[in-house]
Amino acid sequence: MSALATILRLIWRDQRAALTRGAVLAVTVLVMGAALLGLSGWFITAAATAGLAGAGAVFDVFRPSAAVRFLALGRTAARYGERLATHDATLRALTSLRVRLLAAQTRAPFAALARLRASEALNRLGADVDALDAVTLRLALPVGAALAALILAAGGLVWLTDPRIALAVCGVMALGGGAALWLGVRAARTPARQAEDQAQAFRRGVVDLVSARADLAALGQLTTQVAQVTAADDRRRVLNRHLDRLGRRVGLALSLTGAAAMALALGIGGTLAHAGILDPARAAIGLFVALALAEAITPLRRTASEFGRMASAARRVAARLNTPTGPAQPLPADRTLALTGVTHGHHPLSEPVLRGIDLRLPAGTRLGLQGPSGSGKTTLLALMAGQDRPGTGRVTLGGRDLTDLDEGALRRVLTLVPQRSALIQGTVADNLRLAAPHAGEAELRAVLDAVHLSAPLAARGGLSTPLHARGAGLSGGESRRLALARALLRQPDILLLDEPTEGLDAATARAVMQAILDRLPTATIIVASHRPEDLSRMALILDLGRPEVRSSNL
Amino acid sequence: MSDSRPDPLRALLAPVRTAVTQGSLLSLASALVWPVQAAVIAAALAALVEADGVGHGPIAGWVAPWPAALSVLALGVLRAILSQAAEARLFDAGDRVVAERRAAIVTREARVARAGAAGPGAIAALAGEKLDTLLPYVLRYHPAMARSAVVPLLILGLAFWHSWAVGVVLLMAGPLIPVFMALVGWAAQDASARHLAGLGSMNDLLVDRLAALVDIRLLDAGARVTADYAASAETLRARTMRVLSIAFLSSTVLELFAALGVAMVAVWVGFSLLGVIAWGGQVDVRSGLFLLLLAPDYFQPLRDLSAAWHDRAAAQAMARELAAWEAEDSPLILGSGRVTARLAGAPEIRLRGVTLGAIPIPDAVIPPGAMVGVTGPSGAGKSTLLRALAGLDRPTAGTITVCGQTLDDATADPWRATLGWMPQSPRFPPEPLHRIIAADAPLDRDLLAMAALTPVLARLPAGLDTVPGETGAGLSGGEARRVMLARLLHRRPTVVLADEPTADLDAETARQVTAALLELAARGATLILATHDPALLAHVHQRLTPGQPA
Repeated sequence: MSALATILRLIWRDQRAALTRGAVLAVTVLVMGAALLGLSGWFITAAATAGLAGAGAVFDVFRPSAAVRFLALGRTAARYGERLATHDATLRALTSLRVRLLAAQTRAPFAALARLRASEALNRLGADVDALDAVTLRLALPVGAALAALILAAGGLVWLTDPRIALAVCGVMALGGGAALWLGVRAARTPARQAEDQAQAFRRGVVDLVSARADLAALGQLTTQVAQVTAADDRRRVLNRHLDRLGRRVGLALSLTGAAAMALALGIGGTLAHAGILDPARAAIGLFVALALAEAITPLRRTASEFGRMASAARRVAARLNTPTGPAQPLPADRTLALTGVTHGHHPLSEPVLRGIDLRLPAGTRLGLQGPSGSGKTTLLALMAGQDRPGTGRVTLGGRDLTDLDEGALRRVLTLVPQRSALIQGTVADNLRLAAPHAGEAELRAVLDAVHLSAPLAARGGLSTPLHARGAGLSGGESRRLALARALLRQPDILLLDEPTEGLDAATARAVMQAILDRLPTATIIVASHRPEDLSRMALILDLGRPEVRSSNL
Repeated sequence: MSDSRPDPLRALLAPVRTAVTQGSLLSLASALVWPVQAAVIAAALAALVEADGVGHGPIAGWVAPWPAALSVLALGVLRAILSQAAEARLFDAGDRVVAERRAAIVTREARVARAGAAGPGAIAALAGEKLDTLLPYVLRYHPAMARSAVVPLLILGLAFWHSWAVGVVLLMAGPLIPVFMALVGWAAQDASARHLAGLGSMNDLLVDRLAALVDIRLLDAGARVTADYAASAETLRARTMRVLSIAFLSSTVLELFAALGVAMVAVWVGFSLLGVIAWGGQVDVRSGLFLLLLAPDYFQPLRDLSAAWHDRAAAQAMARELAAWEAEDSPLILGSGRVTARLAGAPEIRLRGVTLGAIPIPDAVIPPGAMVGVTGPSGAGKSTLLRALAGLDRPTAGTITVCGQTLDDATADPWRATLGWMPQSPRFPPEPLHRIIAADAPLDRDLLAMAALTPVLARLPAGLDTVPGETGAGLSGGEARRVMLARLLHRRPTVVLADEPTADLDAETARQVTAALLELAARGATLILATHDPALLAHVHQRLTPGQPA
């Protein structure tokens, strides 16, 4: 419930003016509708009474008929304005919410990023945010407008007709509408949430299935996975049928509420008129207003059926909006990277992979890291890149802890090319420009040349070679070189490379490594690798696999 | 936007036509209750007015206030029940079609051999939210059609019967509506189609960027990616708003016609009752009120229909996209990817005249137990050949024979049951390691040791219950490779297809992986390895180079 309030507040803060206008117009539409029908009913009945009494000539026809036209046109215009204002405001607010969510996502801790499943995040940014349009359009605005219209209509009916009619019409509407909404929300809340969970499971399932279909087929697990995905849809279908039934019941209750209000208005109004307490024309007002007010409570059906979905979406979205803002220490001028007494494991409880590492790497150091798989090469690079804080000890740049530095500033001087670097859909140039948005074509070509990628790409379109999702379309070695070219464009002071020449033959590997060293003559370069091609150019080698060479004061 | 092709939306609904018709008729029946309700209300009010005229004389029978109120209520109940029944019937019909198509999309997409234009996000959007646009269309458009065909004519008849002037007013205001509606309908359809297309591509963009978030962060491109996304989200918002504003504008114009029509009827009836107007037919209190109550419902079905035009436009755009998807001739994998018994016979592989895309594959015979190196420069087609050998891609020409039978849809699944498969880049389902390695079968500790996984498991706090990230987060590259190896060993394969099995491994791990593969070979398995690794190539009996003659 508080999550819903949070989201409503966010939407409200984002689009206060448009939503206020929309809310006022929404009430205007309902009130004008009630006034229009009430006035028309009164007009006809009064005219008939006057006609029968032979008083037709003195009956003022012009003001009521002008009012009827004014109300008819005014309501139409108000409705148009209301719809446009509320939908536009809501969509704008949701778009900024989506962007905020993605921005928060990009600032999440590295460990969380690596574990993020794209399909899961797609659900957050897509379906969950979509569901939130109901917070204003189906919940706050219709319920608020209906309440306001009922109160105003009750006042009007007391003034023009009789308190008993006002009480009957507005009381029945408020009670009936409120009860239908309350019971509907209660009954539909859990199944609506479950249906949304299943819909998301289905979407996740499809994305995962399509992404991994070849592997699944090779393992003979494809049909099982398909069955799991369709089973999620089947479960959702069962829930949706149930929800649809509930929705129809709420609809029925609301129709009956409208019919009951109308019947009561006719019964009470008729009795009062017949008793001479009220003239028939005024009695007709109650009936016609009841007819018009049905419009105020009909939308509550959707409020009830969508409540569960919007509430659970609000909970998930609100929980992800706030990421702690990172520390923002300015970058020192000194580019000395130092590790002091670093001991670190993948998990606080597990055996440390790195033990008591002490390193001092002044600017321009060329260091190779070697050691068997699992000896901590990648972990050490991650600590040096400020991706993680060491369990004990310090990792510093120019004397300041890496993880306390402003991250943008750190990334401008330090680039890590991880072992499995991801490419994006788009062209080769798009991938390169991720690293340097304003780089010119010549610059892009130069780095492609440096990593010996120009020739293999020449036949496929060079810089405009298209890459499919996740960079598919390049071989393993080509992807690797594109990731290296991307890093070169950053022109870092400190370059960390994890298995940089994987998938390249020895000759190309040597040439690419040489080109990297040549292009960054003054940079600190640290390479974790098991290939002699990568390590041969390094001035210093640290073997993480040999326990006696755990520390080195370089 | 006129279209001469058969309407894909109609074809989509063909199997449930009867249910849709029944639902529409029930909805019509519910709309027909209102004129009766209106007649009761009019009669009751007229009786009051007349009684008022004669000094509150008695009102007898059903037009007295309370009996009339009860009739109004009872008719209201009937109307509501009929309309609920209509909805139930229509929901059922739409739901059936959606479920059927959804299953069809998932089943086929699972078997697509090569990624087409639509990425995982777009396919999920088509099978998910886009298909769902069928329901509002079925629930609203068809019943609105049925009501529009009958209710306005009926009310028009009643109007002329009571007063030709009211009839003329309605007759003049009515036909403008469908004309205007058709005009907006076209604009709406166009806008809907663009909106739907935008939704799919935005999803694809997002899935793609989300998968690369670590790199994006390392390259300090977070703000740029967020800005790209903001731009595409903004485009989508603008498109959505365009669809909506067309819908709002058209319904406003219709409402305007309706409001003016009703206001004119009200004014004419009022003047006529006062005796100010003496032409256009005789109305009394009862018929005047009756006409006033009916007038809005003359327009209502047409307004409903116009609102549903937009549902129709959305559904039509979806149906076109679905038809285009169905017509897309994506190559499918051989077989269905299910678990079956192994293909019988000695696992000999023969390649005869095989071409994969534009890459010719040399003819070859791979006897059982052979060790084959698939070599060639990067991008030469090594991975493609392995996929074809696993039946995961179809040769453009030529035949692959396995165990003495042609590799086709019937033999692919039994053939794959004999295979051990090791892809170049590991992808992990969101499951614990023990399930990734052995599925439901019991784990074999010896095989874990053979894959050099035991020390890795000892290091992981959750051991075999660790759930790795989608591309192996939490494990190093070598560790992920060893998990793949353990999975392969657990399938006890007779033929192994491994793509760069020792890539990105340190010497020690590469040696362990090589040893495990050689151990498999020693037990009689055929090994087919795409690799550059000289250590591994030193062991092969035979080499296959895609793109080169044998």
